[in-house]
Amino acid sequence: MNGEDTKDKSVRGNLRLSFILPLVGFLVLAGFAAVALYSTILGTRNPAQLPSVLIGKAAPETPIPLLNDTAKSLDLAAFQGTPILVNFFASWCAPCRAEAPALALIAEYVPVIGITYKDKPTDARVFLTQYGDPFSAISVDRDGKLGFAWGVYGVPESYVLAGDGTVLWRHAGPIDRRVLEAELWPLLSSLSVAVPSGAADQ
Amino acid sequence: MIAELGHFALILAFITSLVLATVPLIGVAKGNTAMIGLAVPASLVMAGGVFIAFAALIWAFLTSDFSVALVASHSHSAKPLIYKISGTWGNHEGSLLLWIVILVLFAAILALRGAAMPTVLKTRTLAVQGIVSAAFLAFSLFTSNPFARLANPPLDGNGLNPVLQDPGLALHPPTLYVGYVGLSMAFSFAVAGLLQGRIDQSWATHVRPWISAAWCALTAGIALGSWWAYYELGWGGWWFWDPVENASLMPWLAATALMHSISVVAARGAFKSWTILLAILAFSLSLVGTFIVRSGLLTSVHSFASDPARGVFILGILLFAIGIPLALFAWRGPALNSEAGDSPNVELVSREFGLLVNNFLLTAATIVVLIGTFYPLGLEVATGARITVGPPYFDATFNPIMAVLVVAMVFGPVLAWRRGMLPSARSVASTAALAAICVILWFFATGTGISVAGLAGLGLTAWIGGGVLMDIAQRTKITKGGFGGRVTSIPMPVWGMWCAHFGMVVFLAGAMANGLFAAEAVVRAKKGDVIELAGRRITFAGIEQRQGPNYITSTAILEMRENGRLISTMTPENRLYTAQRQTTTEAAIRPRLSGDDYAVLGDGDSEQGYTLRLYRKPLVSWIWGGAGLMVIGGMLAAVGRHRREPAKTVRTSKAVA
Repeated sequence: MNGEDTKDKSVRGNLRLSFILPLVGFLVLAGFAAVALYSTILGTRNPAQLPSVLIGKAAPETPIPLLNDTAKSLDLAAFQGTPILVNFFASWCAPCRAEAPALALIAEYVPVIGITYKDKPTDARVFLTQYGDPFSAISVDRDGKLGFAWGVYGVPESYVLAGDGTVLWRHAGPIDRRVLEAELWPLLSSLSVAVPSGAADQ
Repeated sequence: MIAELGHFALILAFITSLVLATVPLIGVAKGNTAMIGLAVPASLVMAGGVFIAFAALIWAFLTSDFSVALVASHSHSAKPLIYKISGTWGNHEGSLLLWIVILVLFAAILALRGAAMPTVLKTRTLAVQGIVSAAFLAFSLFTSNPFARLANPPLDGNGLNPVLQDPGLALHPPTLYVGYVGLSMAFSFAVAGLLQGRIDQSWATHVRPWISAAWCALTAGIALGSWWAYYELGWGGWWFWDPVENASLMPWLAATALMHSISVVAARGAFKSWTILLAILAFSLSLVGTFIVRSGLLTSVHSFASDPARGVFILGILLFAIGIPLALFAWRGPALNSEAGDSPNVELVSREFGLLVNNFLLTAATIVVLIGTFYPLGLEVATGARITVGPPYFDATFNPIMAVLVVAMVFGPVLAWRRGMLPSARSVASTAALAAICVILWFFATGTGISVAGLAGLGLTAWIGGGVLMDIAQRTKITKGGFGGRVTSIPMPVWGMWCAHFGMVVFLAGAMANGLFAAEAVVRAKKGDVIELAGRRITFAGIEQRQGPNYITSTAILEMRENGRLISTMTPENRLYTAQRQTTTEAAIRPRLSGDDYAVLGDGDSEQGYTLRLYRKPLVSWIWGGAGLMVIGGMLAAVGRHRREPAKTVRTSKAVA
């Protein structure tokens, strides 16, 4: 705060760093917005996801309890042999609501594992009754331990694991139609999962 | 014809705003009285033009003139009258026009009322308000024309969204806009102060009522929005840390800081450049809030459709409206503090220092919310990933800052200007501490499983509650029996401060009780099932089908008993609007001062049973009651000060920079 700097009364109209900082901060932010806007208009804004460092490696196992049986913890090895989709979600997350129908559709083809991220179990149950429960198993990452190990940005975020437990794909943000058609169905199909033939009609 | 008249009036207002934005400023620079004299009539003509345009748009909605594109896409002939009117501002173009209406209204009020103000300051303030108005009028006319016609008007409109037909939604945006735009006056005063190169106590006196008014409206607007979300969305929550909510919270935090720092300028002539910066930031955050989040410069989860042309214009306006004042601040700001004589050092134990702490914490909280709101948007721009940080982030960052602020709230009012404490300081602080300790021990002993953070929150509520009440008791000398005489001798703004601070106590009590002691049950129930919740027995007596004016409902009949006595029959509904094939959920709420009972009917059938969500929410209405007390406090402070003002405003400033 600059208001009480009074010792130097001779300073009058001189530039001073602390008074320029707000302008500099604002210009940096505005420049950032301008770049984003410019690339949106040009259509070059790169929608590619940041690659996860986990790709090609085994998913880290951190014991976290199941939603419906807190005595047991999530065991991804139980799904060994088939590809699975792991979805981090939370009741406080608006895009997760938008994503619910897509997950229900995916669950018809591969098992979907839900992980409630930094959420109260009671809130998660409300969310499931309201937006549907497509999950083969749901476990509770109350303080974000597992999410931290996996490098989760926020929710929603999804991973595809191969039958041997290695991470093949990561998507931050809700799975929408474009992601389904351009990325997820082709990937699952390459893992010899039967995917909707007329995926475009979905 | 009426629409064309409105369009023409809007163009007239735009041209006048260009005159207002330039000529009076040149007049001040050249000392030309005629040019200076133009500021007041130009403000009034500009305001008149915008009012006529807005009236014309309301007329188009009222008469369902579907040849106007906006009416065709956002209204419907079968809408109730009140929602036809509120539909005027329920869309981008109309809400922008409402925004401008409030902007020019404030300019007009200043033009008519500011007789006691120094002419130069008044002229410059009006001119800056004219610049802002010109920018937004151009935005409206060139990218968001509300009067665009359709070549082939449809037979009926497209806008009959039942969710938007709600009294809360009709009231909430205008109130919030008065708050947002009210900060434009603080902004214009600040820029005028920078232009003239010096601000004094008279500047502070004149800008103060505007800040108070904007703050009151912003507080009321946010509370209305929260209340609407609570009863309409059927989630039982009152704050979701949604980007749109955060967009209104940020200017509120900045305006709250401004409310406090302006008092230091008025009383002691300190914190001048900081106050100017806050005024610029508060309005900037309003602009960012209204425009970036809502019209999708950075595509947020809420706005998938964005119009790049609009985005460019918005960015241009922001660069212009925020960048130039900040540049002016960098150039002229340092000079403001070096006014001879009235820029005192700040002692560690003084009211000034207390308010410095207040400002530091509120600014930190604003930045925390800003980061939490824009980090997901920034990440999306950088990587394309669309994610949410949500409540865990805000719980970990915002809440601790607020906790420190609440601790400081007890000390601030008992500190004296310049140096030292008021005589009541010791008893106020010890009462607050005693109250906090008692409450923490009580809940530690009786409440099972309350977390440390929860206990701390309860303790803080008691701390500030005890502090405020003891401060009132001490200064009115209730404890010594001389109540009556003292009450009237205490200035109105002090009562306003107490009222607003006590509003904070009430708000915190509601928020803490609701966060810690709410009970909820989610069940699948069949007819005759009984659900136990928080000492109530709720019997599901079945489902009734009912016919509404343009919808059919499934209504659950829930008989709620306490100690065997029937206290209420709750009837949550699911409505199907037949024409639009749209369903809405109407929660049943039994509001009481001690807490609300809240029931929502989910889906289901008589075979499988129906999903019911039942909540018991203790003290939840205190959240909005507390906000109401804050608004009343803000008004008391503004009104009381206004009445005492004339003696102070004699001093005029003739400084020409």
